[in-house]
Amino acid sequence: MSIDRYRRQTLVKELGQKGQELLATKHAIVIGGGGLGSHSANLLVRMGIGGIDIVDNDTVDITNLHRTSLFTQEDLGKSKAFVLQEKLRAINTEVRIRGINQKVTKENIESLVKNADVIVDGTDSMSLRFIINEVSIKYNIPWVYAGVYETVGMVMGILPKKTPCLQCISQNIPESTSGETPVLGSLPAIIASIQCTETIKLLLGKPLAGLLIYDVWKQCFDTMDIKRNPHCPICGIKKHSLARGRII
Amino acid sequence: MKITVRLFGRYKDITNKDTIQLNIGEGNTLGDVIDCFVKQYPATEKDKSRMMMSKNKLYASFDTTIIEGDEITLSPPVVSGG
Repeated sequence: MSIDRYRRQTLVKELGQKGQELLATKHAIVIGGGGLGSHSANLLVRMGIGGIDIVDNDTVDITNLHRTSLFTQEDLGKSKAFVLQEKLRAINTEVRIRGINQKVTKENIESLVKNADVIVDGTDSMSLRFIINEVSIKYNIPWVYAGVYETVGMVMGILPKKTPCLQCISQNIPESTSGETPVLGSLPAIIASIQCTETIKLLLGKPLAGLLIYDVWKQCFDTMDIKRNPHCPICGIKKHSLARGRII
Repeated sequence: MKITVRLFGRYKDITNKDTIQLNIGEGNTLGDVIDCFVKQYPATEKDKSRMMMSKNKLYASFDTTIIEGDEITLSPPVVSGG
Protein backbone atom coordinates (compact mmCIF):
# COMPACT_ATOMS: atom_id res chain seq x y z
CA MET A 1 0.00 0.00 0.00
CA SER A 2 1.37 3.38 -1.00
CA ILE A 3 2.06 5.46 2.09
CA ASP A 4 2.25 8.75 0.22
CA ARG A 5 -1.14 8.31 -1.42
CA TYR A 6 -2.97 8.23 1.90
CA ARG A 7 -0.59 10.34 4.00
CA ARG A 8 -2.99 13.23 4.54
CA GLN A 9 -5.84 10.85 5.30
CA THR A 10 -3.94 8.79 7.85
CA LEU A 11 -3.28 12.00 9.77
CA VAL A 12 -6.98 12.05 10.56
CA LYS A 13 -7.24 10.58 14.04
CA GLU A 14 -10.60 8.93 13.36
CA LEU A 15 -8.90 6.76 10.73
CA GLY A 16 -5.12 6.70 11.33
CA GLN A 17 -2.63 4.29 9.79
CA LYS A 18 -4.33 1.29 11.39
CA GLY A 19 -7.69 2.24 9.95
CA GLN A 20 -6.16 2.77 6.55
CA GLU A 21 -4.55 -0.66 6.64
CA LEU A 22 -7.80 -2.25 7.76
CA LEU A 23 -9.70 -0.50 4.97
CA ALA A 24 -7.29 -2.01 2.44
CA THR A 25 -8.40 -5.49 3.53
CA LYS A 26 -12.11 -4.80 2.86
CA HIS A 27 -14.26 -5.46 -0.16
CA ALA A 28 -17.36 -3.46 -1.09
CA ILE A 29 -20.06 -4.09 -3.64
CA VAL A 30 -21.85 -1.06 -5.05
CA ILE A 31 -25.26 -1.91 -6.47
CA GLY A 32 -26.11 0.73 -9.06
CA GLY A 33 -23.63 2.97 -10.84
CA GLY A 34 -25.66 6.15 -11.29
CA GLY A 35 -25.72 9.40 -9.36
CA LEU A 36 -25.08 7.87 -5.96
CA GLY A 37 -23.23 4.68 -6.85
CA SER A 38 -20.67 6.28 -9.15
CA HIS A 39 -19.80 8.96 -6.59
CA SER A 40 -19.61 6.49 -3.72
CA ALA A 41 -17.45 4.09 -5.72
CA ASN A 42 -15.17 6.94 -6.72
CA LEU A 43 -14.67 7.99 -3.10
CA LEU A 44 -14.16 4.46 -1.80
CA VAL A 45 -11.51 3.82 -4.46
CA ARG A 46 -9.73 7.10 -3.79
CA MET A 47 -9.84 6.57 -0.02
CA GLY A 48 -8.27 3.12 -0.28
CA ILE A 49 -10.83 0.34 -0.05
CA GLY A 50 -9.19 -3.01 -0.83
CA GLY A 51 -11.59 -4.11 -3.54
CA ILE A 52 -14.84 -3.03 -5.10
CA ASP A 53 -17.44 -4.47 -7.46
CA ILE A 54 -19.83 -2.13 -9.24
CA VAL A 55 -22.96 -3.77 -10.59
CA ASP A 56 -25.21 -2.05 -13.11
CA ASN A 57 -26.79 -3.26 -16.34
CA ASP A 58 -27.61 0.21 -17.60
CA THR A 59 -25.76 2.41 -20.08
CA VAL A 60 -24.66 6.00 -19.65
CA ASP A 61 -27.41 8.34 -20.75
CA ILE A 62 -27.38 12.08 -21.36
CA THR A 63 -29.77 12.46 -18.39
CA ASN A 64 -27.11 11.03 -16.04
CA LEU A 65 -24.53 13.73 -16.70
CA HIS A 66 -26.02 16.53 -14.60
CA ARG A 67 -25.58 14.61 -11.35
CA THR A 68 -22.47 12.50 -11.94
CA SER A 69 -18.82 13.48 -12.19
CA LEU A 70 -17.02 10.49 -13.72
CA PHE A 71 -19.13 10.07 -16.86
CA THR A 72 -18.57 12.29 -19.88
CA GLN A 73 -20.37 12.78 -23.17
CA GLU A 74 -17.93 10.34 -24.76
CA ASP A 75 -19.32 7.62 -22.50
CA LEU A 76 -22.90 7.92 -23.73
CA GLY A 77 -24.31 4.53 -24.67
CA LYS A 78 -21.53 2.60 -22.91
CA SER A 79 -22.02 0.26 -19.97
CA LYS A 80 -21.94 2.22 -16.70
CA ALA A 81 -20.24 -0.67 -14.92
CA PHE A 82 -17.47 -0.97 -17.50
CA VAL A 83 -16.91 2.78 -17.80
CA LEU A 84 -16.58 3.02 -14.02
CA GLN A 85 -14.23 0.05 -13.96
CA GLU A 86 -11.96 1.68 -16.52
CA LYS A 87 -12.00 5.15 -14.94
CA LEU A 88 -11.59 3.97 -11.37
CA ARG A 89 -8.69 1.71 -12.32
CA ALA A 90 -6.97 4.78 -13.75
CA ILE A 91 -7.47 6.54 -10.40
CA ASN A 92 -6.10 3.86 -8.09
CA THR A 93 -4.31 0.74 -9.34
CA GLU A 94 -3.94 -0.54 -5.78
CA VAL A 95 -7.66 -1.31 -5.59
CA ARG A 96 -9.19 -4.43 -7.12
CA ILE A 97 -11.98 -3.00 -9.24
CA ARG A 98 -14.54 -4.98 -11.19
CA GLY A 99 -17.45 -3.67 -13.19
CA ILE A 100 -20.29 -6.15 -13.55
CA ASN A 101 -22.75 -5.42 -16.34
CA GLN A 102 -25.66 -7.30 -14.85
CA LYS A 103 -29.14 -6.65 -13.51
CA VAL A 104 -29.38 -7.42 -9.80
CA THR A 105 -32.30 -9.69 -9.00
CA LYS A 106 -33.59 -11.77 -6.14
CA GLU A 107 -32.14 -14.79 -7.93
CA ASN A 108 -28.56 -13.58 -8.39
CA ILE A 109 -28.00 -11.21 -5.47
CA GLU A 110 -26.62 -13.86 -3.13
CA SER A 111 -23.87 -14.87 -5.53
CA LEU A 112 -23.01 -11.22 -6.16
CA VAL A 113 -22.69 -10.16 -2.53
CA LYS A 114 -21.29 -13.33 -0.94
CA ASN A 115 -17.69 -12.06 -0.78
CA ALA A 116 -18.50 -8.49 0.19
CA ASP A 117 -17.81 -6.94 3.58
CA VAL A 118 -20.35 -4.22 2.86
CA ILE A 119 -23.08 -3.45 0.32
CA VAL A 120 -23.35 0.13 -0.89
CA ASP A 121 -26.77 1.14 -2.18
CA GLY A 122 -26.66 3.03 -5.46
CA THR A 123 -29.95 1.78 -6.81
CA ASP A 124 -33.02 3.84 -7.59
CA SER A 125 -35.48 1.04 -6.87
CA MET A 126 -37.15 0.56 -3.51
CA SER A 127 -38.04 -3.04 -4.35
CA LEU A 128 -34.35 -3.80 -4.99
CA ARG A 129 -33.46 -2.10 -1.72
CA PHE A 130 -35.77 -4.46 0.13
CA ILE A 131 -34.02 -7.38 -1.58
CA ILE A 132 -30.64 -5.96 -0.50
CA ASN A 133 -32.01 -5.51 3.02
CA GLU A 134 -33.19 -9.11 3.21
CA VAL A 135 -29.93 -10.62 1.94
CA SER A 136 -27.97 -8.32 4.25
CA ILE A 137 -29.83 -9.60 7.29
CA LYS A 138 -29.77 -13.19 6.09
CA TYR A 139 -25.99 -13.30 5.58
CA ASN A 140 -24.96 -10.68 8.13
CA ILE A 141 -23.48 -8.30 5.59
CA PRO A 142 -23.82 -4.65 6.56
CA TRP A 143 -25.17 -2.20 4.00
CA VAL A 144 -25.62 1.50 3.60
CA TYR A 145 -28.93 2.76 2.25
CA ALA A 146 -28.94 6.09 0.44
CA GLY A 147 -31.61 7.82 -1.58
CA VAL A 148 -32.11 11.19 -3.23
CA TYR A 149 -35.24 13.06 -4.27
CA GLU A 150 -35.45 16.65 -5.47
CA THR A 151 -33.20 18.43 -2.93
CA VAL A 152 -33.39 15.88 -0.11
CA GLY A 153 -31.18 12.89 0.55
CA MET A 154 -31.21 10.19 3.19
CA VAL A 155 -28.50 7.83 4.37
CA MET A 156 -28.61 5.03 6.90
CA GLY A 157 -25.91 2.50 7.70
CA ILE A 158 -27.40 -0.87 8.62
CA LEU A 159 -25.56 -3.34 10.80
CA PRO A 160 -27.64 -6.53 10.74
CA LYS A 161 -29.36 -7.37 14.02
CA LYS A 162 -27.61 -4.45 15.71
CA THR A 163 -29.18 -1.36 14.14
CA PRO A 164 -32.60 -0.82 12.51
CA CYS A 165 -32.92 -2.36 9.06
CA LEU A 166 -34.75 -0.75 6.15
CA GLN A 167 -37.89 -2.71 6.95
CA CYS A 168 -37.83 -1.40 10.54
CA ILE A 169 -38.28 2.15 9.28
CA SER A 170 -40.48 1.38 6.31
CA GLN A 171 -44.07 1.17 7.34
CA ASN A 172 -45.62 2.55 4.20
CA ILE A 173 -43.22 2.95 1.34
CA PRO A 174 -44.69 2.28 -2.06
CA GLU A 175 -42.55 2.11 -5.19
CA SER A 176 -42.06 5.51 -6.76
CA THR A 177 -44.95 6.22 -9.09
CA SER A 178 -43.24 8.54 -11.51
CA GLY A 179 -40.86 7.23 -14.15
CA GLU A 180 -38.22 9.88 -13.57
CA THR A 181 -37.14 10.97 -10.11
CA PRO A 182 -36.41 14.70 -9.87
CA VAL A 183 -32.89 15.26 -8.50
CA LEU A 184 -30.88 18.46 -8.14
CA GLY A 185 -27.47 17.87 -9.72
CA SER A 186 -25.49 18.89 -6.64
CA LEU A 187 -27.30 16.48 -4.32
CA PRO A 188 -25.94 12.99 -5.15
CA ALA A 189 -22.29 13.98 -4.62
CA ILE A 190 -22.94 15.19 -1.10
CA ILE A 191 -25.21 12.27 -0.18
CA ALA A 192 -22.68 9.82 -1.62
CA SER A 193 -20.00 11.50 0.44
CA ILE A 194 -22.05 10.90 3.60
CA GLN A 195 -22.79 7.36 2.44
CA CYS A 196 -19.12 6.64 1.81
CA THR A 197 -18.19 7.91 5.27
CA GLU A 198 -20.82 5.72 6.92
CA THR A 199 -19.56 2.79 4.83
CA ILE A 200 -16.00 3.30 6.05
CA LYS A 201 -17.18 3.66 9.65
CA LEU A 202 -19.05 0.37 9.29
CA LEU A 203 -15.96 -1.34 7.89
CA LEU A 204 -13.82 -0.04 10.74
CA GLY A 205 -16.34 -1.05 13.38
CA LYS A 206 -17.17 2.51 14.39
CA PRO A 207 -20.59 3.58 15.67
CA LEU A 208 -23.06 4.74 13.03
CA ALA A 209 -24.97 8.01 12.98
CA GLY A 210 -28.50 6.64 12.56
CA LEU A 211 -30.84 7.92 9.85
CA LEU A 212 -29.41 11.05 8.26
CA ILE A 213 -31.58 13.49 6.35
CA TYR A 214 -30.02 16.33 4.37
CA ASP A 215 -31.69 19.04 2.33
CA VAL A 216 -29.09 20.60 0.06
CA TRP A 217 -31.36 23.54 -0.82
CA LYS A 218 -32.31 24.48 2.71
CA GLN A 219 -28.89 23.40 4.04
CA CYS A 220 -30.72 21.53 6.74
CA PHE A 221 -29.14 18.43 8.31
CA ASP A 222 -30.90 16.06 10.69
CA THR A 223 -29.96 12.83 12.35
CA MET A 224 -32.60 10.57 13.80
CA ASP A 225 -31.81 8.25 16.65
CA ILE A 226 -34.03 5.24 16.13
CA LYS A 227 -34.35 1.74 17.54
CA ARG A 228 -34.83 -1.62 15.90
CA ASN A 229 -38.38 -2.80 15.56
CA PRO A 230 -38.57 -5.99 17.65
CA HIS A 231 -41.47 -7.13 15.49
CA CYS A 232 -39.71 -6.43 12.20
CA PRO A 233 -40.50 -9.33 9.84
CA ILE A 234 -36.97 -9.18 8.41
CA CYS A 235 -34.58 -8.54 11.31
CA GLY A 236 -36.78 -8.94 14.37
CA ILE A 237 -37.03 -12.71 14.35
CA LYS A 238 -34.20 -15.22 14.10
CA LYS A 239 -35.41 -16.82 10.94
CA HIS A 240 -32.17 -17.12 8.97
CA SER A 241 -29.73 -19.69 10.28
CA LEU A 242 -27.24 -20.07 7.44
CA ALA A 243 -23.74 -18.98 8.40
CA ARG A 244 -22.09 -16.18 6.47
CA GLY A 245 -20.25 -17.44 3.42
CA ARG A 246 -22.28 -20.61 3.16
CA ILE A 247 -24.69 -19.41 0.57
CA ILE A 248 -26.48 -22.21 -1.17
CA MET B 1 -54.68 15.73 25.19
CA LYS B 2 -51.72 17.78 23.98
CA ILE B 3 -48.79 15.97 22.44
CA THR B 4 -45.43 17.24 21.31
CA VAL B 5 -44.18 16.21 17.88
CA ARG B 6 -40.56 16.60 16.82
CA LEU B 7 -40.14 17.39 13.13
CA PHE B 8 -37.41 16.49 10.66
CA GLY B 9 -36.30 17.47 7.18
CA ARG B 10 -38.50 19.85 5.23
CA TYR B 11 -41.25 19.68 7.82
CA LYS B 12 -39.16 22.02 9.94
CA ASP B 13 -39.11 24.42 7.04
CA ILE B 14 -42.82 24.10 6.30
CA THR B 15 -43.79 24.73 9.91
CA ASN B 16 -40.85 26.97 10.72
CA LYS B 17 -40.50 24.96 13.93
CA ASP B 18 -38.47 22.05 15.31
CA THR B 19 -41.34 20.85 17.45
CA ILE B 20 -45.06 21.46 17.41
CA GLN B 21 -47.89 20.74 19.77
CA LEU B 22 -51.05 19.04 18.56
CA ASN B 23 -54.35 18.50 20.27
CA ILE B 24 -55.63 14.96 19.85
CA GLY B 25 -58.21 12.89 21.66
CA GLU B 26 -57.60 10.09 24.16
CA GLY B 27 -57.03 6.76 22.44
CA ASN B 28 -56.03 8.39 19.17
CA THR B 29 -53.42 6.84 16.90
CA LEU B 30 -50.40 7.97 14.94
CA GLY B 31 -52.69 8.09 11.91
CA ASP B 32 -54.81 10.66 13.75
CA VAL B 33 -51.65 12.64 14.54
CA ILE B 34 -50.81 12.72 10.85
CA ASP B 35 -54.37 13.75 9.92
CA CYS B 36 -54.12 16.61 12.40
CA PHE B 37 -50.65 17.61 11.15
CA VAL B 38 -51.66 17.58 7.48
CA LYS B 39 -54.78 19.59 8.24
CA GLN B 40 -52.70 22.28 9.91
CA TYR B 41 -49.94 22.17 7.27
CA PRO B 42 -51.52 21.29 3.90
CA ALA B 43 -48.12 21.46 2.16
CA THR B 44 -47.41 18.04 3.71
CA GLU B 45 -50.51 16.46 2.15
CA LYS B 46 -48.58 14.73 -0.66
CA ASP B 47 -46.57 12.74 1.92
CA LYS B 48 -49.60 11.69 3.94
CA SER B 49 -49.64 8.00 3.04
CA ARG B 50 -45.84 7.57 3.22
CA MET B 51 -44.85 9.80 6.13
CA MET B 52 -42.33 8.26 8.51
CA MET B 53 -43.31 8.41 12.11
CA SER B 54 -41.83 7.13 15.30
CA LYS B 55 -43.09 6.73 18.81
CA ASN B 56 -40.45 6.66 21.53
CA LYS B 57 -37.66 6.19 18.94
CA LEU B 58 -39.38 3.22 17.36
CA TYR B 59 -40.88 3.42 13.90
CA ALA B 60 -44.54 2.70 14.20
CA SER B 61 -47.59 2.12 12.04
CA PHE B 62 -50.61 4.38 11.53
CA ASP B 63 -52.74 2.39 13.98
CA THR B 64 -50.34 2.75 16.92
CA THR B 65 -52.13 4.27 19.90
CA ILE B 66 -50.70 7.41 21.46
CA ILE B 67 -50.72 8.28 25.10
CA GLU B 68 -49.72 11.47 26.85
CA GLY B 69 -45.95 11.79 27.20
CA ASP B 70 -45.07 9.71 24.14
CA GLU B 71 -42.21 11.12 22.08
CA ILE B 72 -43.47 11.44 18.51
CA THR B 73 -41.43 12.30 15.44
CA LEU B 74 -42.53 12.96 11.89
CA SER B 75 -40.20 12.98 8.93
CA PRO B 76 -40.57 12.96 5.14
CA PRO B 77 -40.78 9.55 3.44
CA VAL B 78 -37.68 7.50 2.70
CA VAL B 79 -36.49 8.66 -0.68
CA SER B 80 -36.02 6.24 -3.51
CA GLY B 81 -33.93 7.87 -6.23
CA GLY B 82 -30.33 7.05 -7.01
